[in-house]
Amino acid sequence: MSSFNLNVNGAVHAVDLDDNTPLLWALRDTLGLVGTKYGCGIGECGACTVLLDGEAVKSCGLSLKKVGSAKVTTIEGLARGGKLTAVQQAWCKLDVPQCGYCQGGQILCATALLAAKPRPTDADIDSAMSGNFCRCASYTRIRQAIHAAAGQPTAAS
Amino acid sequence: MSVPSPSVAPVLDRRGFIKIGALAGGGLLVGTYFRFGAASALAETAPAAVASFAPNAFISIAANGTVTLIAPNSEMGQGAKTALPMIIAEELDVPWDKVTISQGDLNPAYGRQAAVGSGSTPGNYGPLRQAGATARAMLVEAAAQTWGVPAAECTTENGAVLHRASGRHLGYGELAAKAATLPVPADVALKDPNDFKLLGTRVPGVDNEKIVTGQALFGIDQTLPGMVYAAYVKCPVFGGKVASANVDEVKKLPGVRDAFVLDGINGLTPGVAVVAGSTWLAFTAAQKLKIQWDQGPGVSQGSEAMAKQAEAFGQADPGAAVPAGATAIEAAYHYPFLAHATLEPQNCTALFKNGVMEMWCPTQVPSAGQRSVTQGLGLAARDVVVHVTRLGGGFGRRGSNEFSLEVAAIAKRLEGTPVKLTWMREHDFAHDNYRSNGWHFFRAGLDSAGKVVALHDSFVKMQGGPGDMTGGGFPFNAVPGSQVQSNKLSGTIPTGYWRAPGDNGNTWATQSFVDELAHAAGRDPIDFTLGLLAAVPGAGAPGGPAGARGGRGGGGFVPAKMEAVLKLAAEKAGWGKKLPRGQGQGFAITHTNNAYVAVVADVTVSQQGVLRIQKLTAVVDAGLIVNLSSAEAQVQGAMLDGISAAWFQKITIEAGAAAQVNYDDYPLLRIDNAPPAVEVNFVKSIAPPTGLGEPGLPPAAPAICNAIFAATGKRIRTLPIADQDLKWA
Repeated sequence: MSSFNLNVNGAVHAVDLDDNTPLLWALRDTLGLVGTKYGCGIGECGACTVLLDGEAVKSCGLSLKKVGSAKVTTIEGLARGGKLTAVQQAWCKLDVPQCGYCQGGQILCATALLAAKPRPTDADIDSAMSGNFCRCASYTRIRQAIHAAAGQPTAAS
Repeated sequence: MSVPSPSVAPVLDRRGFIKIGALAGGGLLVGTYFRFGAASALAETAPAAVASFAPNAFISIAANGTVTLIAPNSEMGQGAKTALPMIIAEELDVPWDKVTISQGDLNPAYGRQAAVGSGSTPGNYGPLRQAGATARAMLVEAAAQTWGVPAAECTTENGAVLHRASGRHLGYGELAAKAATLPVPADVALKDPNDFKLLGTRVPGVDNEKIVTGQALFGIDQTLPGMVYAAYVKCPVFGGKVASANVDEVKKLPGVRDAFVLDGINGLTPGVAVVAGSTWLAFTAAQKLKIQWDQGPGVSQGSEAMAKQAEAFGQADPGAAVPAGATAIEAAYHYPFLAHATLEPQNCTALFKNGVMEMWCPTQVPSAGQRSVTQGLGLAARDVVVHVTRLGGGFGRRGSNEFSLEVAAIAKRLEGTPVKLTWMREHDFAHDNYRSNGWHFFRAGLDSAGKVVALHDSFVKMQGGPGDMTGGGFPFNAVPGSQVQSNKLSGTIPTGYWRAPGDNGNTWATQSFVDELAHAAGRDPIDFTLGLLAAVPGAGAPGGPAGARGGRGGGGFVPAKMEAVLKLAAEKAGWGKKLPRGQGQGFAITHTNNAYVAVVADVTVSQQGVLRIQKLTAVVDAGLIVNLSSAEAQVQGAMLDGISAAWFQKITIEAGAAAQVNYDDYPLLRIDNAPPAVEVNFVKSIAPPTGLGEPGLPPAAPAICNAIFAATGKRIRTLPIADQDLKWA
């Protein structure tokens, strides 16, 4: 057991957990931030994607030891003051979610992409988003929503 | 439109189910319009006040005008939580942006709560229209009495009753108290579907805002005060049991609260439960279990032996007698077992307290989960309360409810403590109810004019579960004297419902073989299929509307409807273009869950064998479209799901267990392999809607495989495609 000060969504949380605990489970079971999802536990599906200092990373294989003092943004922390980001708005408007389970990870990944490339091509999107499964295969609308949100400010940028 | 937040605190009050009846402010609650058989224990606890209001349970209107509509069936991405209340709102004439949607928990008052077989919309369309129209009629009557005018002079609009002659109007909230005192009319007029304003439009999912902000919705998100976390480990060999396990050792691990063997419970697969302070601790402790399994006879099963058994069945079958002068065409097709691989792994949460098991279940069929618990643990139905959460994917997986009984058995031992059971992904792959494997040994005869004069299919699958072939479907119904012979493999691999059961594999095989016949006959494949459709008895008759027969299943095939969607798909896709080698078009059709679907695929295959799907064009006749947005999404997603499975996926059985344990060896389609263009067209119709969660799936894979043949001359007769060499020179 070790003590960690996790910087999540702009607040610092002191937690006492085993060093090897993946960030995913600290978020879900300790901090109650269940928007970050468990899918595979091996970094294959992307459901557990969070932003670490603005970079999209998979939290299921990221131990607390490695998180250190990095700023973690989860899907709960994307909208500020109740205002959805352009990406979140596009997701709602274009009705991207089917079951919705992967969409938090998709949105965070898209947010990181748009911060790096405000006007991505389809090829940019495919390359940046191919680490995130959608079991419902909502890919057609994911592409549309990223284009719709392109060029607009992203909260995490 | 708004969606209430799920209540966090457990209710643990049987009356909690029907508390919606006790609305503040003297609201109108229209109770259930149809009641199911013998009322269940839950219904018996309903306070008399509710019953007295009551012809249906789907609508409540508060005095302040708040309209709450119940979504009776589970939401797993198919859009039922939005589409079903839309049907009520249409007939009730309330503005969509003003209604609140509430997910119905298990309650007999809501009718058949089974989100299976693409049945939610066709099964609820009539009853929910009736529910909305009944409430509307009572509100009109209340206004008419208030004003002293004939009801026939009153109309409704946007949640209010109007009397145009006198310019008066009253909101539904203002009329609720009076309407609640009126008798429930037995027979009310429904709208003319041509006058629908809401149905057929694009309405975004009611939970979208919660999804994009990561709020707790899914089964796996349930959190209760004092909750503990469980894992449950079963024998990887199907049918195996626990001989012994080091539970005392595991109990001593940090953070572990308990570990025990569960066996001898009716309906429960035996295993070892580990209960800990977090999911992670439960998973890591479960990995430290040393279990001696009694594997049982199932350990001798393997995919290779099954293939040999299937071949033997095929060879023992004489096949069709091909008439003299006709050419015999034979081909063998095989598809493997598939896992459902829902992205949310199976899970369930339960609390056993004061003799009541209260549960939060991500299930497609909540009554089946309840039944497994009552039968397994000897509880009365009234003492098993089932809340329905959102499902992180269903695809048929969550029609079976092993997780419900597993968590209930654990919760019963930990009386008073809430437990969340989460299956590790590896356990989810190891303990699925798989889509059955299947083999088709086809034999057909083509006469000198290229007409199919004989057709025989010797079909083999794992015993049990759905997926049987019947002889009556297309193309067998187009060939007089055609036969389908079915044989089953012996074995104990659990099989179950997987999106578009039966059709998901059999349509691939039959539609690929029809394409083979077309090429053998030297005919354009679409012309060839149109010729076969013209030979189906009843061809040429317009038939009824697509959904006229309602319900599920594939009964009532109308060849003219199939022909119409196919012709339109050919037109929309620009069928018949002369393409260079390496590019190809293919198509396939299906009649699934009463919907008619034609899909044309455009693919390219590089000389190195790299497949790219360039475009999918679908035309669908599914009767009236309820929600255009989710209908389109379902067809897009179903096609890609079919392609994902056919391209990449297989479960193989080795030594009685599934060989694939996680997504790294069971890949899903990723965005970089998704086609850049996916076009979905619906035939305009006011016929009652068919289901739409499944029909888009079956034709996608054969359309791709037929397009690969057109591009390369390579016929895919074994799935997945990824195992085949597509190189050409």
